[in-house]
Amino acid sequence: MSAVIGMAPPEYDPAAPRSAATLPVGTAATVRAYVTELLRRHRTAFAVLIAVNAVAVIASMAGPYLLGSLVDRLAEGARDLHLPGAVAVFMVALAVQTVFVRLVRLRGAMLGEEMLADLREDFLVRAVGLPPGVLERAGTGDLLSRITTDIDRLANAMREAVPQLAIGVVWAGLLIAGLAVTAPPLALAVLVAAPLLIAGCRWYFKRAPSAYRSEAAGYAAVAAVLAETVDAGRTVEAHRLGARRIALSDRRVKEWTSWERYTLFLRSVLFPVIALTHTTVLAAVLMIGGVFVLKGWMGVGQLTTGALLAQMLVDPVGVILRWYDELQVAQVSLARLVGVREIEPDAGDAAVRPDGRDVRADDVRFGYREGVDVLHRVSMDVAPGTRLALVGPSGAGKSTLGRLLAGIYAPRAGRVTLGGAELSRMPAERVREHVALVNQEHHVFVGSLRDNLLLARAGATDVELWAALGAVDADGWARALDDGLGTEVGSGGLALSPAQAQQIALARLVLADPHTLVLDEATSLLDPRAARHLERSLARVLEGRTVVAIAHRLHTAHDADVIAVVEGGRITELGSHDDLVAADGAYAALWRSWHG
Amino acid sequence: MQIHQLPYADPGDPDVRSGTRFLLWLGRNQLGGQVKSLLWGLLLYLGIAGLPLGVGLAVQAVIDRSGGGLARAGVLSALLGAAIAIGDTMQHRTAVTNWITAAARVQQLLARKTAELGSLLTRRVAAGEVVAVSTGDVEKIGWFVEVLSRFAAAATTLVLVCAGLVIYQPALGAVVAIGVPVLALAALPLLPRATRRADEQREKAGRATELASDTVAGLRVLRGIGGEELFLGRYREASQQVRRAAVRSARMWALIAAIQVLLPGLLLVVVVLYGAKLALDGRITVGELVTVYGAVTLTHHPLRTFEEVAMAYSFSRPSAKRAARVLSLTRTATTVAGTHQRPGGDLYDPVTGLLAPAGLFTAVVCGDPDAAGKLADRLGGHPAEEADGQASVLLGGVALDELPLEAARTAVLVQDKDPVLLSGTLHELLDVPSSGKVSAAQALAAAQCGDVLDALAQASVDTGGDPMRTRITERGRSLSGGQRQRLALARSLVTDPEVLVLDEPTSAVDSHTEARVAAGIQRLRTGRTTVVLASSPLLLDLADRVVLVHEGEAVAVGTHRELLAADERYRAVVTRETEEEALVDSEESA
Repeated sequence: MSAVIGMAPPEYDPAAPRSAATLPVGTAATVRAYVTELLRRHRTAFAVLIAVNAVAVIASMAGPYLLGSLVDRLAEGARDLHLPGAVAVFMVALAVQTVFVRLVRLRGAMLGEEMLADLREDFLVRAVGLPPGVLERAGTGDLLSRITTDIDRLANAMREAVPQLAIGVVWAGLLIAGLAVTAPPLALAVLVAAPLLIAGCRWYFKRAPSAYRSEAAGYAAVAAVLAETVDAGRTVEAHRLGARRIALSDRRVKEWTSWERYTLFLRSVLFPVIALTHTTVLAAVLMIGGVFVLKGWMGVGQLTTGALLAQMLVDPVGVILRWYDELQVAQVSLARLVGVREIEPDAGDAAVRPDGRDVRADDVRFGYREGVDVLHRVSMDVAPGTRLALVGPSGAGKSTLGRLLAGIYAPRAGRVTLGGAELSRMPAERVREHVALVNQEHHVFVGSLRDNLLLARAGATDVELWAALGAVDADGWARALDDGLGTEVGSGGLALSPAQAQQIALARLVLADPHTLVLDEATSLLDPRAARHLERSLARVLEGRTVVAIAHRLHTAHDADVIAVVEGGRITELGSHDDLVAADGAYAALWRSWHG
Repeated sequence: MQIHQLPYADPGDPDVRSGTRFLLWLGRNQLGGQVKSLLWGLLLYLGIAGLPLGVGLAVQAVIDRSGGGLARAGVLSALLGAAIAIGDTMQHRTAVTNWITAAARVQQLLARKTAELGSLLTRRVAAGEVVAVSTGDVEKIGWFVEVLSRFAAAATTLVLVCAGLVIYQPALGAVVAIGVPVLALAALPLLPRATRRADEQREKAGRATELASDTVAGLRVLRGIGGEELFLGRYREASQQVRRAAVRSARMWALIAAIQVLLPGLLLVVVVLYGAKLALDGRITVGELVTVYGAVTLTHHPLRTFEEVAMAYSFSRPSAKRAARVLSLTRTATTVAGTHQRPGGDLYDPVTGLLAPAGLFTAVVCGDPDAAGKLADRLGGHPAEEADGQASVLLGGVALDELPLEAARTAVLVQDKDPVLLSGTLHELLDVPSSGKVSAAQALAAAQCGDVLDALAQASVDTGGDPMRTRITERGRSLSGGQRQRLALARSLVTDPEVLVLDEPTSAVDSHTEARVAAGIQRLRTGRTTVVLASSPLLLDLADRVVLVHEGEAVAVGTHRELLAADERYRAVVTRETEEEALVDSEESA
């Protein structure tokens, strides 16, 4: 982007992507297809809006016409101006204009709100349909910023920009048509000014969208540094990082304001262009019209009407430019929202059904990145009802293997099967009937305790819910709640302890009732006392199920039927606790130092 | 102040006694900018007000068949056009500069305040509130700052135009002069109700956003176990409520828009009716009639700023109040002046009786994790939760609470249970104030961060596989819990403080790695004072001495093995086994 005039954009671009592993952003074609679909869905409302708007604009032109005819008569020296008639017409037109302007505003808002509601609901529908593997890898942070920041940014565009642009275009078009009807030569005045406006707008809109994107990202970065300092208050204080945080904030302020300065420069070019366009149109109408009147080719009333109509052009042009800008900025957010549609929903093959409960990994290789495998030729067989513990150092691939066995990731080579059927070929909804991954993420949703449980089995009765809570030892505190299952929990509601949250997660498992569980450090973040209590709840949930536990602490491993030691993406030891201790390998050494 | 001079070297000392005072303080600091913006605004609005003059002159010129008059009207229009172009651009530039400089100043003030308060901040005020000031309130304050000068210019212009009309054509001018204030004020009574409805809509929108982000935050749970339809249904309901509230709010704005068409229209009718009679009587020319008509239609430009300033004020007042509240928080300084020595020696807590001898690795076992957290916090001095009358922890006999905060934090570094990894590259993460004696490589090796380096190297697409230059995402979310914990530990080891207090530094690390991390800490901290609050035998086994703190009191001291053999309470805490298993164990050993 080279700036021929004046100022170059700042070098540092806060909107430039910085991390690779996020969700895709929609291509121009996807965005266009989505917008077309959205417009088609609301075409009736659009037609109504444009019709209502046309009536309002036409009514607004009554004033200039009436004044024009008045001026004509006065210029002719007429003694009777037919004032009562003119006033009556004016009043009727004013009434119509008043009613229809209100309708335009209202219809515009209704249309905008409906499109916005469609957009945010569509997005969430897509988001909840994402394959678990994509979520696991991309995390939910990016999605979260899309549903908050981008929806917010789009709100204005949908609510105002789209209807206002439609209104502005119709408005300007009708005024120019009015000018042409009044006296065709006056429409030439618009042509005189058009090149200036077109050149100015082309220059501006070539630079503006990306500059506004960077400006917004720069501003968000200022807030992000502050949010982080607040969040990390203890760490900042302990490490004496206060001065550095201030310096970082100041640097972000500088980066942000340098973009503000650049966009201000862009507007400093656009604004005079627009202002000069308006006065050029007006002056051209006056001069062309004036000469025509002097030559006797046109009446003075026509000139008056034309000049007043030209003066009225300021508003629609302002509306168009004001909101065109917003739409350009919104396009970026829209691309981020519809980008989610580009991810294959990963429907799976509904015909693939497991036959039995046997979990097998067969010569499995897997890597997160091309050419870098995390698991190398792993094979194992977990018989129904067995407890398998995966132990090994961090980064050895335990969690990855667990996720493959839970059907979240598909192996790069080899097969992971449940009852002979490949997990990766089943739809996520089928997989979770059989296998569940239990991790540290014990999210309590905003809503009632009942909703928090019902998600695992829609249509469960309260009796069943209480039974599930009872099974995990949670009915005690739950019964003590004022509103029982109706108690609002989650952020903003009753705050539950991490242990209670974990119990809810376990109660969900009881309700969902999958026969195989993959536990990934399910209780490791809890304090020891709570963990001990929870382990009892957990033990009841595990009864009768196949369990793959990614063991963090050795006592978990000790209880397992089979222990697999994972090192460097390979299974290096496999056997029962006693076997491995007897084999005197890595596991045995660790066990001795643990047990003292 | 120009935008390119930002940030402020010193954002100043704000008047935070109230929101209004804060706004005034901001205004006082940019008086020059406000005046400039006002003057350019006057040029703009007077230019616009002058346009009908050109039209009137042109109409009159052609009626008088005067080519020269027409040319003069054309020149006047061109001049006014130039004035409008310059006024519009410069007014915008100055007003936006006012808003940007005010916003930057508030952001800088917030940054300084949060850095000053550190761990105290979130105890005094909700984290969300501080962030809300920075994301939403600053913008609203800026909007008010920006619109203020524009409004002043518009109001001045209206007064001047009305005064001019009254002098130039008293009868017609009087009609306009009476009509314009009515127009200016007509919509104001409706504004409170409109803003209330807008607030309702925002509240509902906030609720919907909360539901959406909550659903997304728990999406992995939903995808793993089901319930998508339940949550979608809930969100749809909330989203439709937002829509209905928005339409309700739009009804009000539509009504205001209609009034803004009707009232000027009525004024126009009166002006035309009356003006036509005057023209008929020859008291004004036709051109003048056209001028007055045009002037009335153009009053809506300056009139709109009345509504805008009222809105901006009503929005910015609560914002300024909240900003003032956050900025008025202070740290109560209990520092005794004049103590500038660098203390060293044994760390002693008179409350629990815990003693950590200088240069040794002391492990503290504390059955209750909350109590452990509080103890760790107190060990650093200036605890976030100040308990009255509790004696300060002593370092070499010096009370830490009485040292300046900076000196206390330099002497003792307390790493809490949930240390935060600040976003940035790994190099930036480890670039903390330190003694300089421990290199990043040594610290990373001691904390067993090899796998983290590998993971970062793999993730570094554009930095050529250099893990030190790879960015760690916010709070290290791309790393596992154990990896985050070890990076935080490496950061604390780099700092190399006189006394290092670690609260459960390896709780999320697997047993294999934990044993190596413990050895790493011990090796790197040889000869330095280290206190680790932990319950894992792998860590405790390596400590020079282990202290059992039971119900707020140090009750037993010894090595891990001694205590394991001698103290029942100790055994109960560290062998993390259920009672049943403990029974089985004792049977086996019997």
